[in-house]
Amino acid sequence: MPPNVSPGLRDSLVAQIGSLRAFAVSLCGDRERADDLVQETLFKAWNHLDSFKEGTNLKAWLFTILRNTYFSERRKRKREVEDTDGSYAARLSSRPEQHGHMDMKDFQAALAQLPEDQREALILVGAAGFSYEEAAEISDCAVGTIKSRVNRARTRLADMLDLSEPEDDATGSPTPAAKSA
Amino acid sequence: MKRNDKKKATRRMTVDARKSADQAGPRAGKTGPGAESDEGMSPALQAHIGRHIRAMFDEVAEEPVPDHLLKLLKDLDQSGEK
Repeated sequence: MPPNVSPGLRDSLVAQIGSLRAFAVSLCGDRERADDLVQETLFKAWNHLDSFKEGTNLKAWLFTILRNTYFSERRKRKREVEDTDGSYAARLSSRPEQHGHMDMKDFQAALAQLPEDQREALILVGAAGFSYEEAAEISDCAVGTIKSRVNRARTRLADMLDLSEPEDDATGSPTPAAKSA
Repeated sequence: MKRNDKKKATRRMTVDARKSADQAGPRAGKTGPGAESDEGMSPALQAHIGRHIRAMFDEVAEEPVPDHLLKLLKDLDQSGEK
């Protein structure tokens, strides 16, 4: 059943595991479940590698599989247990602290409170490095929808965190990360 | 040969059409109030938010890959060779 997988493709698959885990955590807010999701994703990807055109965007393809897996599993789960955004927030904010930066924790908590579709769009575009077009394909919606979700997510985060224009950045030396999220 | 050229031209046009459709996206996809509400957000603030999101994401993404996930691929690889 599995196709002839070239070592190169196999390595490319391995190289995406880190990003897949990070995306999975951002979707479900639970480390253990995230790894289950990644495992399921790799398994499905492997068995459907013949439907992947080598040379096209492997990362986007994998993210799409992971996302679809997450939502179809959650639809099943929802019938059993109601999993509200509140419990997601609680799980995320109770993650062991590694940074020690207070504002990082605040940021995580705020991100957890975003509507799911906005959080997803922001992660895909702002962190995982996808273009709006790629994110739209992964999330199966229009490019304009992704753009407005990202915009709303940023605005809400800024509101929740009471972020005003960072004066230091504006008046001091130009920020190296001029690249917008 | 001419036929071929024509075919190519058609294909190019299709691609272009898709591109411009994508570019029309923001307006076409404007779904409600607030869709463009932060057009005025400064690049500096956007970058500030972006840095945090990337830091959160990378924190997980850069962790070493758990052994059981690597093992899964190895096992799948071997089962395929049989």
